[in-house]
Amino acid sequence: MRQFRNMIYPYVAWLAVMVVVPMLMILLYAFTTEGNDVTTFRFTLDNFARFVSDAVFLDVLKRSLLIAVFTTLVCVLLGYPIAYTIATGPERSSFFWIMLVTLPTWINMLVRTYAWVGILQDDGLINSALGLIGIGPFNMMHTTFAVVLGMVYNFIPFMILQIHSSLAKMDKSLLEAASDLGANRIQSFLHVTLPLSLPGVLSGITLVFLPAVSSFFIPKLLGGGQYVLIGNVIETQFLTSGDWNFGSAISLIMALIIMVSMYITRKVDTDPESGGRR
Amino acid sequence: MNPNTKRSIGGKLLLAATAIFFYLPIVYIIVFSFNDSRSLTKFGGFSLRWYEKMFTDSTMMEAVVYTVIIALLATVISTVVGTLAAIGMSRSRKALKNVVEQINNLPIMNPEIVTAIGLLMFFSALGMEKGFLTLLLAHVMFCTPYVILSVSPKLRSLDPNLADAALDLGATPIQALTKVIVPQIMPGIISGALIAFTMSFDDFIISYFVTGNGVQNISILVYTMSKRVNPSINALSSLVIVLITAALILVNVLPVLREKSRQKREEVQSHINSHKKAALLLAGLVVIAGAGLFALRGNAPISAVDKYGSDTMKLYIPGEYMSEELIPSFEEEFGVDVIAEYFDSNEMMYTKIQAGDSYDVIVPSDYMIERMMAEDMLQELDLDKIPNIEMLTDEVKNLPYDPYNTYSVPYFWGSVGIVYNHNNVDPQDVEEQGFEVLRNTKYRGKLYIYDSERDSFMMALKALGYSMNTDNEAEIQDAYEWLLQMNNTMAPAYVTDEVIDGMINGNKDIAVVYSGDATYILDENEEMSFWMPLEGTNLWSDAMIIPKNAANPLLAQEFINYVLSYEAAKGNSEYVGYTSPNSQVLQELSSGDGMYSENEAYLPRSGYPHDEVFRDNPVMKKMLAELWLKVKAAN
Amino acid sequence: MEKKLIQFKNIVKSFEDGKIVLKGINLDIYENEFVTLLGPSGCGKTTLLRILGGFLSQDQGQLLFDGEEISNIPPYKREINTVFQKYALFPHMNVYDNIAFGLKLKKEPKDIIEQKVKRMLKLVNLEDYANRSVTALSGGQQQRIAIARALVNEPSVLLLDEPLGALDLKLRKEMQQELKKIQQEVGITFIYVTHDQEEALTMSDKIVVMKDGEIQQIGTPTDIYNEPVNAYVANFIGESNIIEGVMVDDYKVAFEGKKFACVDYGFDKNEVVDVVIRPEDLDIVPPGEGKLKGVVKSVLFKGVHYETMVETKVGTEITVKMQVSDDRPVYNESANEKMSANDFYLDMNDVDELDDATIIARADAQAWNPDEDELISIKEVQHNIQKANGTYPVKFSTAAGTSVTVNMIVKDENSVTSEENEEEIFAVNFYKKVDEIQESIALDTDLKTWANASAWSLEDSTAVEITDVKYQFDPEKITPGTYDVTFATKGYQYKIDTTDKYEVDDVVGLMFQPEDIHIMSKSEF
Repeated sequence: MRQFRNMIYPYVAWLAVMVVVPMLMILLYAFTTEGNDVTTFRFTLDNFARFVSDAVFLDVLKRSLLIAVFTTLVCVLLGYPIAYTIATGPERSSFFWIMLVTLPTWINMLVRTYAWVGILQDDGLINSALGLIGIGPFNMMHTTFAVVLGMVYNFIPFMILQIHSSLAKMDKSLLEAASDLGANRIQSFLHVTLPLSLPGVLSGITLVFLPAVSSFFIPKLLGGGQYVLIGNVIETQFLTSGDWNFGSAISLIMALIIMVSMYITRKVDTDPESGGRR
Repeated sequence: MNPNTKRSIGGKLLLAATAIFFYLPIVYIIVFSFNDSRSLTKFGGFSLRWYEKMFTDSTMMEAVVYTVIIALLATVISTVVGTLAAIGMSRSRKALKNVVEQINNLPIMNPEIVTAIGLLMFFSALGMEKGFLTLLLAHVMFCTPYVILSVSPKLRSLDPNLADAALDLGATPIQALTKVIVPQIMPGIISGALIAFTMSFDDFIISYFVTGNGVQNISILVYTMSKRVNPSINALSSLVIVLITAALILVNVLPVLREKSRQKREEVQSHINSHKKAALLLAGLVVIAGAGLFALRGNAPISAVDKYGSDTMKLYIPGEYMSEELIPSFEEEFGVDVIAEYFDSNEMMYTKIQAGDSYDVIVPSDYMIERMMAEDMLQELDLDKIPNIEMLTDEVKNLPYDPYNTYSVPYFWGSVGIVYNHNNVDPQDVEEQGFEVLRNTKYRGKLYIYDSERDSFMMALKALGYSMNTDNEAEIQDAYEWLLQMNNTMAPAYVTDEVIDGMINGNKDIAVVYSGDATYILDENEEMSFWMPLEGTNLWSDAMIIPKNAANPLLAQEFINYVLSYEAAKGNSEYVGYTSPNSQVLQELSSGDGMYSENEAYLPRSGYPHDEVFRDNPVMKKMLAELWLKVKAAN
Repeated sequence: MEKKLIQFKNIVKSFEDGKIVLKGINLDIYENEFVTLLGPSGCGKTTLLRILGGFLSQDQGQLLFDGEEISNIPPYKREINTVFQKYALFPHMNVYDNIAFGLKLKKEPKDIIEQKVKRMLKLVNLEDYANRSVTALSGGQQQRIAIARALVNEPSVLLLDEPLGALDLKLRKEMQQELKKIQQEVGITFIYVTHDQEEALTMSDKIVVMKDGEIQQIGTPTDIYNEPVNAYVANFIGESNIIEGVMVDDYKVAFEGKKFACVDYGFDKNEVVDVVIRPEDLDIVPPGEGKLKGVVKSVLFKGVHYETMVETKVGTEITVKMQVSDDRPVYNESANEKMSANDFYLDMNDVDELDDATIIARADAQAWNPDEDELISIKEVQHNIQKANGTYPVKFSTAAGTSVTVNMIVKDENSVTSEENEEEIFAVNFYKKVDEIQESIALDTDLKTWANASAWSLEDSTAVEITDVKYQFDPEKITPGTYDVTFATKGYQYKIDTTDKYEVDDVVGLMFQPEDIHIMSKSEF
């Protein structure tokens, strides 16, 4: 079997060039200044200083994190019951519902997000419907509600699928055992189902939080120009202001925060106190 | 779980609500793709016009073809590369394997925007021209890890002696690979390929950063077009939805059908096995895709090449800023192809040009032209080749940023003013308060502000009685405070082109808009009025320029000349609603029974002492950009 | 032991797909009994247990516990606990928390819980494991925890669903004893589900043998073993010799063409019955002294005894002629190809489905390059066969033009029917070359192939295995000529447990006493 070993080396080279070098470039730009030319680089921490010393950027960061946390929370609170309902139904209908949840993720995110513009507008579908029963119109576009809705809409399938798969692979005799040992349905759920599906919830959290914190087109499409999140700041630095150094520094800060939060999530997952799993 | 329990009513309701939530937008898109009117909210009868428009829109069709080609190529390459790498990995030393696994996970665990900027900087450091190749490389780069993740578990569960057994029985390593290992891990390879295809097909963020030169996929197209309602997007999206759904059903139902038919003809042996069939199918698709790519580049009449040295011209222009007939009639008359690309902002355009993208004609704004002139990015025009320059109206000839029209020829011009709904807003308030009406809390929550640091600071500075070209820090600080106070008290919506449809639909009562957009708004909604504040405003012009790195300046000049012609200029101004630089067209449209004779926004005021033209000041510009970001972010 | 604790009354259960799994079960279970539900998978034993546990509900019938209907009481309110098939230990809890689960739900005081858990851990011999993760335990340990977790709740009945199925043989034996010990110690009713008759016999006070949703027999292990009500039970409870016989009169049964004394009575005159003789009740004696005579067919060492198979009557036989020749292959010099083929016999019934591949195989036609010894494919098979007895030439040729012609002989009767065995066996004469016989690496199989031998049941046309291939020649030293080859199916064989070792092909006698013969009504299966 040793003969196939060499097949890894071309990919190692590819990874080095296409993944490692670009990452190093972000690092390099983040710690340098003076234009985008290699010959004029000068090492500095100014980019970071500029970010942390400015309350506005910190506010943006805080807002991005809050929105992402809030989105993730909504996804868990809505996604869990949905996944649970799907998983506890008859097998064939579970398959159908999982297909139904998966299908939209195959359709372009932008296209689906764009559709919400028409639905949420002041004279859009929802307000027209509400108008028929005499309430509204409510201003929904360009609000936190619209942004969170867009994010939940785009990312909740990941949460549902993760939780569903952890629920589906759970041995159902565990529930019978709990019931046998005197647990009613609620107790069975709290003591058995919930703790055993936590790994699914945690990986769902990762899959939702990660894109939510860095998203820039959802706030732009549904939140309007005043909805500045960290992703929008990075986009602006690269595509409008042309300040790649500052943009790299912001990206680095964001990547770091995400890595730390994922590390914590994983830590919770493997913490013996929380479950005793290895 | 428990498959024997029937769902409760609550569960059924929850699932029904879930289905509605997921499919409402999708159904909405499909329904509105058949809408006869332009609106995204009012259904004006059934029509196929947006489908027609989509199929005749070369930009859209190209985006579709590029999306499919890139997705197919990226899938094939990343599947092959990923499978081989995964097999290699499964045989490698643990240390190396761990490192490769970690790095392989980077693109998956990193936010996409980080991967995107890394690649952007990497490609530009290499001096690679952004376009098809960079897009393809980027897609292969982020698809391959998913293939590996999908193949590796299958390899782990594979009997490690399998390949040895094959070799022992006389297979060469290649045969052992293709006849034993690959068939065993086929389910993993197929699901990896499917993931790769969808990842590539749907990608936006990475593509958005690494592509250029007219190569754009559906996502980018949707993003750049979505600011102004274009129902063709709905038509395109519906088509994509139908295709994807059909493909998914096929993928899920086909194996069942095949199994059935296989059972029926047990004896009839099929000589081509299914893998070969799949490979043939894939190869066929690649060939078709390649042919499509070729066709995109094809059909070249020889005369144009003789005359201009090339038969294609690349145009870079803000979105929805040109009549739909202009390019097709130019193409027909001169037997050439025009590739049009659209930008969001002058700054976005500038960044792209700086990154090395090449275009023949660009339509930037005045201050940007000044900067590009200063940075020696523009070609001098051969005015003999542009005889129609004679037709320019006096107001736009020899503007201060380019006093002799050496580098630029005006495309549209106008001013900035306030559009307001005279039913809900007291005209007296607007006329007396000017820009200050934007801070009148009577109208809180009722305004649109144009999302651009220049225009916002312009109105703040004008409201405060300063010059909009000031570099006095105290004055700028005052303007910042002014804007901040507006931001905090008025709950404005910051928008770009959405302002047009928003005002036409009467979503808000007050908006600061360009006069050309105001013309269009007033045309469509009679409740709207236009006012140019007495404190003065911005007089601007957008002009056509030819950058230094243009590949085809001769054809570019021909195009500029054509745009200035009476026919083209008239159609253009009528379609877009902006003020024409052609004096004859201007005259005709604004007077007597002209299309805009009743429209107070069409003809900008001239000779008013408080009005100014923007000058380029990069230092101030950067400062304003940051201040503007802070204003927006402060809520 | 006389108080009825659980009563199943006419329990019927069918699944969604319409299959009836329980066809009206009536069963009483008494206090402190160790009851085993025994049967093959799919017999409904687990379903019955799950109905009692409360995880399924019956379609019809009553389920009484202590005289009260409990069908509508949910599992968590029944005084019954279950040890699940794969233990169903909660993977997210340690050993202690698993055992304490039920007690915590009952909100018992902490110190009481601790006491009880400790006692249970002691009972199952795992005192030091309280803080271990359950996923880190061995199968046997997990098993004990599962038992402890159930028993700590002090149920009046413990249900065990194939609890030892996942353990290896040695551990299983240990746990059997331990389970019995625990049951005696805690003194409650155990209801045990298994498909392992040995387990059932070792542990139970009462065995319930089930098949296809019905109870076959209820009794003590000795009852069930010694007096099985039918051949099914007899066979299931231990591999037995079951022979079809006729009850000539009370105390007189006829089988294998002879009459024997027995202790059974009360059957109809000349009733066809199953005769069961346990392997350990049969003795091997010299040929003349036994009640039956036979040939030793196989001997298997089983540790303490030998399991000797004796055939008293051969199966259905057919003898065919093998014509051995030493024809040399045809040699085509120009193409450097050699080619050979045999004449062969063909059954009339096979003519319709004849194809080239079959003809090549039956004629054993081959072409090869003599230098490289590589086979060359046969491109063409020409023949003109008709569906009538006769000899038809077949010509095989290669692409290079080398060809051989052989005869295909069609005959219509090549089978032997045995009414007694209800079998038919088929084979045809065949032609072979000396070297083919010498080179064969699995001669019996090759002979079957060459003679196209097969056998089937007359009753339902299912295939019957041909177990014997008999011939007199020495394959290594065979010379051209005609030889007999006999193919036979399996005859009547008896399984006998012996302490002495006999050699295969020994002729022996079989001895048994009247009380060793168990007569049973023909089961309807």
